[in-house]
Amino acid sequence: MVCAGGAKNGEGLVIRFFMLMALLAMSGAAAANMSDQAHRSKVNGIDLITYRSNVKDVVIIIGVLPAGDAMVESGNISIPTLSGMMLDRGTKSLDKFSIAEKLDNVGAEITFTVGEQSLEIRAKCLRKDLPLIIDTMAAELRTPALLVGEFNKAKEQFIGELEASAQDSGALAAQAFGRAVFPEGHPNRPHTLNEYIAAAKSANLEELKAFQAKYYGPAHMTLVVVGDVIDADTQADIAKAFSGWSGGQDYLRAAKAAATTAASEITVPLTDKPSVTVLFGQASGLRYSDPDNLALRVGTAVLGLGFTGRLMSTVRDKEGLTYNIGASMGDDSIVDGVWEVSASFAPTLMGKGVESTRREVNKWWKDGVTEQELASRKQGVIGGYFVSLSTTLGLAETILANAERGFDLGWLDGYPKAVKALTRDQVNAAIKAHINPNAMVLVEAGSVPASAK
Amino acid sequence: MFEKGNNFARATIRASVVVALLSAAVQAAPDKATPVSAAAAGSAGFSHVKSLGGIDEYRLDSNGLTVLLVPDHSAPVVTFEVTYQVGSRNEVTGTTGATHILEHMMFKGSDAFNDVRGNSIKQMLERVGGEFNASTSFDRTNYFATIGRESLESYIAIEADRMRHLWLHESDRQSEMTVVRNEYERGKNDPENVLLEEVMEAAYVALPYHHPTIGWKSDIEHVPIAKLREFYDTFYWPNNATVTVVGDIETDQVLGLVKKYYGVYPHSPAPIPAIYTEEPAQSGERRVVVKRPGELGAIIVAHKVPNGRDADQAALEMLDAILSSGKNARLYRSLVDQGLALSAGAGTEVLRDLSLHTLYAAMTPGTTHEQLERALVAELNKIKTSGVTPAEVATVKQQYIAEDAYKRDGTAAVASELSEWIGVGDWTLYVTFPQRVQQVTPADVQRVAKQYFGADQSTTGWFVPVAPKTEKGS
Repeated sequence: MVCAGGAKNGEGLVIRFFMLMALLAMSGAAAANMSDQAHRSKVNGIDLITYRSNVKDVVIIIGVLPAGDAMVESGNISIPTLSGMMLDRGTKSLDKFSIAEKLDNVGAEITFTVGEQSLEIRAKCLRKDLPLIIDTMAAELRTPALLVGEFNKAKEQFIGELEASAQDSGALAAQAFGRAVFPEGHPNRPHTLNEYIAAAKSANLEELKAFQAKYYGPAHMTLVVVGDVIDADTQADIAKAFSGWSGGQDYLRAAKAAATTAASEITVPLTDKPSVTVLFGQASGLRYSDPDNLALRVGTAVLGLGFTGRLMSTVRDKEGLTYNIGASMGDDSIVDGVWEVSASFAPTLMGKGVESTRREVNKWWKDGVTEQELASRKQGVIGGYFVSLSTTLGLAETILANAERGFDLGWLDGYPKAVKALTRDQVNAAIKAHINPNAMVLVEAGSVPASAK
Repeated sequence: MFEKGNNFARATIRASVVVALLSAAVQAAPDKATPVSAAAAGSAGFSHVKSLGGIDEYRLDSNGLTVLLVPDHSAPVVTFEVTYQVGSRNEVTGTTGATHILEHMMFKGSDAFNDVRGNSIKQMLERVGGEFNASTSFDRTNYFATIGRESLESYIAIEADRMRHLWLHESDRQSEMTVVRNEYERGKNDPENVLLEEVMEAAYVALPYHHPTIGWKSDIEHVPIAKLREFYDTFYWPNNATVTVVGDIETDQVLGLVKKYYGVYPHSPAPIPAIYTEEPAQSGERRVVVKRPGELGAIIVAHKVPNGRDADQAALEMLDAILSSGKNARLYRSLVDQGLALSAGAGTEVLRDLSLHTLYAAMTPGTTHEQLERALVAELNKIKTSGVTPAEVATVKQQYIAEDAYKRDGTAAVASELSEWIGVGDWTLYVTFPQRVQQVTPADVQRVAKQYFGADQSTTGWFVPVAPKTEKGS
């Protein structure tokens, strides 16, 4: 389709046309497959989605349970993370080394991590070992040993990790940014490092047991099982392993954060950090499922996705001010999230870098995106979606995100069509309606020059 | 466009383990290497070199380009990767980091594909939603993209064009220099990354692994465009490159495309320069201390071990897995579970010349460097004196069998691991290394521990945190 000698303008149009046709053909085939191959059912209260892919022998399980940091509200904020850390430290019938040995012997893994709203579950195994992995995962969730000695070790490890991050410019910038754009009580508002450390030091096992009793249960849990699986067998394994389990709480679906009305700047000074982390943005005021979200996401991609986004092509490629800069939206699966530009600058180039970033954001907001930019970006977003579905993990993550955002399985097919249908007017209207360059928060974390403070 | 050889210790250890784990355990009987045969499958103009483990190797007769094909029809995507046998090991004083800067410059456009024409590599790949990047390590430089199969020819055309028709303009070097310098600065933000660099600087005296892949800051800032051109004209030739294509492909079609776009180039006019430097014997323990603002300390204990192709690498890999794979691993039990370390690991930076084995641990509050180092080295000494158990060896072998299935899930992962073995000097280790691991015995593990981990052969690094001059984050 393309000649080695390069395409002239006219040929370029032909090339793009053929590539678009190819992608649409690919998307049509994949869309049909997605609908046909995904099966969703309630199994003992768990929202279970299974998907048989073409991979041989491999199975990936990922899932979420509403038991994240934000769930404690007025309680001890370290308890959700400590609860997650206790899950692979033994069950009532097996100690942690016996569990590890069982998994090691078949090359399988089960991990638990804790986010703002969710306890996140990830596992991988060979097909033949799936019942063993489901049984082990269920035992870890349902009957953790919760031994005092292990609890104290988990506390020490958590406190050590928190202390180790006290000089991490990225983590500190994100914390300052989140606290500036989200009000008290919003699930996306992070606590400070010192608050976490103090909470971990005072945490006790009884609080943790009470937390698990209240939040660990099937009622709002989602499990996605993808790979070389047989739907009926998997459903039966899940039903058996989680039989009789009950409880669980819904996510916090707080009111949207109020839009900020005035710009602000926050400096997080750190010694000997020759690259300054910069975050610039606002609360988006949008959940993923809100009507304008997709239009704003694609518009944001024009500004700051990849090497051809406006930010990379100007601030990095033309001006050489940064290694990495991009714009994105996130943290909006369940509640309203953020819109932000993230970048890194040398202290001596930070002033210029921030100025260039503001210039590009203002221009994007004022003039919007062009028809050509939108057409190209829509094509790229659709193509990237299908490329991301080519691995078992990519499939599983897409299916889980779809469920967390409140969509039915049909959206897996509908997403590329919705992207394709977006118009320039919709995108530019969404930018104008939800973004305000004059009321953005700027956070700079690192060895910020005195003149910039 | 990041370089891999400049990572923080844990990441490097992890990366090394991943390379090894992903290369692990082929359960099925391997294909026998096929003798060289001009009559084997493939388009005219190619010689079929061999086939192994579902991978077919061809050579383009006209210019020596190596081609590896790995058909996988599970999804309508393809990963195309070109690996050049040039890395920071090919640099000398004044040009350190040049390989990596050149990798960045490879995205500035070529005669036929560039931003001016609106058909640059970035524009083409982002228009089709490709996942793409490039990376530089000690031993190799690679460029890769995962795309829908329909876009393969477009990408090959661009990738081939920039092999010999790259734009190398001084104005681009100037703007890209500050980009790379910021990448360098980001690395310096992490004190443990600095620790690993300084350990390597001490461990290697003569071999170019002494300097970090990203280079010295002064060299990044001042390397002339003429030097980059010289580098490009020395190493970017078909006979110094391997093209790897993994995914939904038909052999004849892909070979035809490769010949169409790469076949226009001749063999390099001069032989690719060989590295003849050898590392002198180490005659005693070496130590480095890095003092930077921070909260918790860290330790690396490193030993030079044979090149990545050496038969002993399998036993070293087994040793590392026994030490650091999972909660049952020895370092977890003795260091993390005992509250001495937040994390601990073992791994080998597998290299073309002398590889570097590292033990790593991040300290918990209240632990001293002396305590942690003693505990870390004690685990190594236990293996030297008492060996490992047959059960430990058997468990690792089982893990490798599972890994063999995991590593085939996704075209990009296969291409990436093949590229690492190409850098080491033998792609067939992608297939045969897991088989070697399956042959390892407990006695092998004890033997390599005794052979390579003498105290006089060690280089130990301490990261000692000092109080920040400003308030810590809150």
